[in-house]
Amino acid sequence: MIPTLTALTAPAFVRGELITEDLVRFGGRGAVETFQTPNPQKLLGALPLFDPSSLRDLHEIPFEEIVAFLAAVGEALVLQRNAHLQEALELSAQFSDMTAPLVRSSFEQLPALFTPDAVRELADATIGIRYLQGWVPRTMGDGRTASIRAFGARAVHIIAGNSPLIAALSIIRNAIARSDAIIKTPSNDPLTALAIARTMGELDPAHPITRHLSVAYWKGGDTAFEEQLFQPAAVEKIIAWGGFASVTHVVRYVQPGLELVSLDPKRSATIIGREAFASPEALNEVARRTATDVGALNQLGCINARVVYVACGTDPDGIERANRLGEAIYTELQRLPEQLSTRAKWFDPELKADIDALRASPEWYRVFGGREGEGAVIVSQLDEPVEFARRLSGRVANIVPIDDPADAMREMNAYTQTVGIYPESLKSTLRETLPLHGAQRLVSLGYAAHPSVALPQDAIEPVRRMVKWIVDERCEPDVVQPLWASTTREEAERR
Amino acid sequence: MSIVADAERFADGPAEYFGHSWYAMQHVAADELAALQFAALRRRFAELRNAIPALTLLADEAGVDTLDELNDVVPLLFPHSVYKSYPSALLVRNRFADLTRWLDRLTTFDLTGVDVSGCTGIDSWLDTLEAHTPLRTFHSSGTTGTLSFLPRSMHEWDQMGQAFRCGLFQYSDPLGAGGRHDGEWFELIWPLWRSGRSAITYFPGLALPHLLGSEDRLHALRPGRMSSDAAYFAGRVRAAAARGELGKLEISPALRARREEFEREQREMTESIPRFINEQIEKLKGRRIWMLATWNVLYNMSKAGLDAGLEKVFAADSLVTTGGGAKGQVVPDDWEEVVQRFIGVDHVQHSYVMSEITALNKQCEQGRYHFEPWIIPFVLDPDDGAPFSREGEHTGRMAVFDLIAATYWGGFISGDEVTLSFEGCACGRTTAHAAREIERYSDKRGDDKITCVAAEDAHRAALEFLTGEFV
Repeated sequence: MIPTLTALTAPAFVRGELITEDLVRFGGRGAVETFQTPNPQKLLGALPLFDPSSLRDLHEIPFEEIVAFLAAVGEALVLQRNAHLQEALELSAQFSDMTAPLVRSSFEQLPALFTPDAVRELADATIGIRYLQGWVPRTMGDGRTASIRAFGARAVHIIAGNSPLIAALSIIRNAIARSDAIIKTPSNDPLTALAIARTMGELDPAHPITRHLSVAYWKGGDTAFEEQLFQPAAVEKIIAWGGFASVTHVVRYVQPGLELVSLDPKRSATIIGREAFASPEALNEVARRTATDVGALNQLGCINARVVYVACGTDPDGIERANRLGEAIYTELQRLPEQLSTRAKWFDPELKADIDALRASPEWYRVFGGREGEGAVIVSQLDEPVEFARRLSGRVANIVPIDDPADAMREMNAYTQTVGIYPESLKSTLRETLPLHGAQRLVSLGYAAHPSVALPQDAIEPVRRMVKWIVDERCEPDVVQPLWASTTREEAERR
Repeated sequence: MSIVADAERFADGPAEYFGHSWYAMQHVAADELAALQFAALRRRFAELRNAIPALTLLADEAGVDTLDELNDVVPLLFPHSVYKSYPSALLVRNRFADLTRWLDRLTTFDLTGVDVSGCTGIDSWLDTLEAHTPLRTFHSSGTTGTLSFLPRSMHEWDQMGQAFRCGLFQYSDPLGAGGRHDGEWFELIWPLWRSGRSAITYFPGLALPHLLGSEDRLHALRPGRMSSDAAYFAGRVRAAAARGELGKLEISPALRARREEFEREQREMTESIPRFINEQIEKLKGRRIWMLATWNVLYNMSKAGLDAGLEKVFAADSLVTTGGGAKGQVVPDDWEEVVQRFIGVDHVQHSYVMSEITALNKQCEQGRYHFEPWIIPFVLDPDDGAPFSREGEHTGRMAVFDLIAATYWGGFISGDEVTLSFEGCACGRTTAHAAREIERYSDKRGDDKITCVAAEDAHRAALEFLTGEFV
């Protein structure tokens, strides 16, 4: 391969130490997406934590020290004064699916995740700070006292790269869980996790939180490497984000002693009630909120809206209402502020071809926009999504008119994550049945892409599964009937 | 203006124009062929611009009324998904009047007078269209749960059949010295239904008058016609199962009633293949046969034959034609050798086939797929769709214009990535030629990019899993 001057270099960070040697080249064709990173094989000696007692240092620090250290990290992650983030932003054009304004605004959100309030809320809502501080006693019905504590574990995080916040969230979760993390970066974000780790290393390279964080790249599915890393002797958990291939290829390593926490690939939907057409103001409001759910962070997330069910009716008047709303959503999409949404960096040519094909059938589909890669709204003129609904990206929504909001249920399945709903009253009705069909998160329209990281995710509580729940049971023979003195049947009958 | 008259004869009947010689088709001087293709393209555009509503819309929007060079047609090529741009609810709910109106926009024939109100399924809908018009519409295999419909007519099918015959003497008569090969026929071994409306099941009917000469030479696994309703149904069930939505599948009562019959037929067919092959070997050994199948079908059959001690079973001038890629399986290095030894031929004829066009683009001695002269190939920039120049070699998205198409628009953009050369080939042929490696863009994935968004690949993998179970 011809070396290019622009090739991006992503060093590895192993337990406080920056590794820049033994670079090998990875990635796609041409300069774009090509980057070099330390040979993962050479890291194998240092990456896994074979001695489990090495986690002791993390368990000896008070919870408040974790909070304080993360707070210091957050203060150092202010983009204007953090050289690593600045460099990542500058190089983002070479790897990120996002455009520069979106990478910038994502980076600007990082410090808020690390504040003491945010960290405490995350810890308390996901695990309970008491369980992270020490042993929490509980008296059981048979008289024994159980003390429960959340212990850290040795984990590999295979993170997604569609948002830089995923790297930050993984690092914070690892810290509060007093765990050891090896973060495997994706090729679409090799630098954010690294920038945070380097920032930590500069603050305190010997801090237990820094010492229990590693960031490296290897090609997902590189079995020669992964077979040596994913051993129960060194890794107890794999936290795998999204991407069908990334989840399926780690499944082979799962065995007793090595658990997989899978944050499955998902898609989201929207259900809009008839109330949207109550007044011109309501219509505009709904259009703006829907455009936000569709366009936020360029529709790169699983949380973004794609297919939008509108209970406008399927008679000609209803279809006309759907068309009006579709046009309004398209207009609002173009008005979204630059820090929230821009023209897509790459507009899928297959998708563009499919949209163009629909223009040949104006009786069945109304298409607003989509010619220049600026985003599009496709309004189905029947109560059915487009055939390529599962490939909508680059700020493309499909409006599907239905008669009753409940009709949207048939399109929900195990892949459904967020459902944005308007109005609130409709959400109260639908929430009893939507989860049965697969929906996992119901949210007010306009807030789909604005989640709280302290809440359950993908219908599981991943942080609870990242820790090990350890019990210490205290049983006094005069309170808890001893097994060695268990009564014979005769004795029992005599009683 | 002899070029115009020539172009007319060339596009309306390429086999006749080239004296039924594949050698002639593949050895026209490049500049002469380009001129011929351009004149024929201009004529097709003039005829069809206002005769096919979907094209009219596209040409109006692009503001194109005349073509000044070959690449001018590129903005007017249809995305391949145009032929499935109807809402599937129309098909599921048997709304054939709506579907007819949709199809009407893609053909020169006027379908407004055709009464399809009594149609109860795809089979009866296409029967009705065929009874009232020259349309002989075919559809895709339906394995992904959707059907594309392409409104080809008797004219194009006939020209396609005639032209097909020419290339099939590639190995037995490489210099085209044998003229029309009058009176020479093949025995077609066909491990599928005798007929049907999917592109592949159309094949025996297409081949019969031009290549087989008689029904006696058509050896089909199963007599009769494959039901399009059955194919569509099976595809939908599989797609729904892959999505975990089997319970939500909308199935009409008529289809529900026939479900068991479809499944039984499918099972019986799969089970009867080994016996069928044995019967054909017995019946046709030493004869000149023709097989057209994907590599795995040919390989499995040949492997079983060799294991049973059978070698060089058929005549040496038999023909084995293949295309369609690896089908997601690992291809053994020696597969061709195995097939050649079993059948008893020196070559396997590889071809680049797209069901949307009327040509079998055959591979030459240099391993390059040569486009037939009535197919104008284009290579487009994969990102912005702009055509590359018609010189040198380019890698990009394959697009074609099929000049035989007289009643539908022959221009379409494929989902394939090809490397195509417009320069002469070392084999001596003068037509544009594509490299052996052809990949679907939808199969190409970002290198180790991970996102939390569920993409098609999950469904495709589930689909492959289920398909594997059924086969």
